Amino acid sequence: MIFFVFSVHIVLAQGPSIKVSGEVTKPLTLGAADLAGMKRVTVSMKDKDGNEHAYTGVAVGEILEMAGVTTGKQLRGENLTKYMLVKCADGYEVVFSLAELDADFTDRTVIIADQSEGKPLPPGKGPIRLVVPGEKKPARCTFQVTELVIRYAKE
Amino acid sequence: MKRLCIISLVLVFSAAWVGMPGPEPYTPVYPAYFGNRIDVPANNPMTVQGIQLGRMLFYETALSANHQLSCATCHRQELAFTDGRKFSAGVDGVLQERNTMSLANLLWERNFFWDGRARGLEQQAQTPLTNPHEMGQELSVSAARLQVLSIYPPLFRAAFGSDTIKGEMILKALAQFERTLISDNSLYDRYLKGVYKPTASEAAGIELFYGKGGCGHCHGGPKTYNELYHNNGLDSVSKDPGREKITGASYDRGRFRVVTLRNIALTAPYMHDGRCASLEEVVDHYSDHIVSSVTMSPFIQGNLNLTAEGKKDLLSFLRMLTDSSFIADPRFSDPFKTDRRSVVRTF
Repeated sequence: MIFFVFSVHIVLAQGPSIKVSGEVTKPLTLGAADLAGMKRVTVSMKDKDGNEHAYTGVAVGEILEMAGVTTGKQLRGENLTKYMLVKCADGYEVVFSLAELDADFTDRTVIIADQSEGKPLPPGKGPIRLVVPGEKKPARCTFQVTELVIRYAKE
Repeated sequence: MKRLCIISLVLVFSAAWVGMPGPEPYTPVYPAYFGNRIDVPANNPMTVQGIQLGRMLFYETALSANHQLSCATCHRQELAFTDGRKFSAGVDGVLQERNTMSLANLLWERNFFWDGRARGLEQQAQTPLTNPHEMGQELSVSAARLQVLSIYPPLFRAAFGSDTIKGEMILKALAQFERTLISDNSLYDRYLKGVYKPTASEAAGIELFYGKGGCGHCHGGPKTYNELYHNNGLDSVSKDPGREKITGASYDRGRFRVVTLRNIALTAPYMHDGRCASLEEVVDHYSDHIVSSVTMSPFIQGNLNLTAEGKKDLLSFLRMLTDSSFIADPRFSDPFKTDRRSVVRTF
């Protein structure tokens, strides 16, 4: 009798996703399908080529609300010392205060984008990135976002 | 007065030996420009006794299965804690899959190895100690071996309050010692402190590094690295999966950590697979040999096409990062070098 032993290399099947954790009441993990099913918004941002480009995705505020982060009327007192840490696949990290992302504080809509000009984002930047309209430097418009972590700033 | 000081010192050390008043906290000293985003876990504070023990363990061959290797076999101080080899060999003679990384300014690092898979130095240390192709000995066996060497139980008691040695204590002591390996006395540091005027070539190299070269995007700032992982254009399809093996994400194929450039002139060969034999070859890579791929970093825009002079300037800057006092610092050297039996008396 001959036995064959197969070594199977398992490739993780699930696509990239964003984890939302920290000071949340409902920790989330959102995949591409989840984002596609949420309220979609399109914003415009000037890229390095100097031209405005349309980016489509979900407002970060919407995601934070879904995760039970203190937004809107709850964003007062000590909650104003909270920040959102954005973590990316390449290890890059940037921070926003929650007030920078809240529709009660600002008209600027920061989004988690999965499309640019109606197409999926290019490799290296997608599948999911952060789009921050109106910033002079693009350093917080991060690529390949993997996690949003909400924390209190503590001295 | 002098006699009083000596007696006091003896009393302090004696107290440490019997577990009273406990290990002395150690505060690492470093320039303000490194920032304070250091990584010291709450359950392993740095102490004078922990660091001293860690230094001994770093050079301790009893921690390897064949009693021949210590951490320092592959991390030699004179080579900025590398070994000059493409791949280091373990106790069984099998070569490592990736190039041995240099050790400097680990106090600020959170994730370790070329693919960042180990969170914290304590976790990192476990792999080389126990991997059958590295030092190849289970922590419990190492702990038992140290237990019967008379010098160690009192040192563990002084550092951790118990002379019953456990594997976890070995990891903690090693991590404490490694966090003291701070390199902050290179020419570049003296330039940052305003006490050294770079030569024309060095100054041009700094400008190129932070300007047209775009090297500063990943290697910028006084620490000369950011904790990032990038595919730096070595291959069209990376043979080594890099971070993809950890995350399962295809966009992580061929991504490896951005290494520190501190002491880089001493740590040849270069890249995760040691393919570049010299620093000149590394500069040539970024200048002339970038290979595009799907996962190549978007921050690499292709070849830099440097002139011969530009390459020379960049190398001049990179050589400014050599810290000759770091590689000769007696606090980091082999405590067993002179006479193993005298070690106890030195602490």
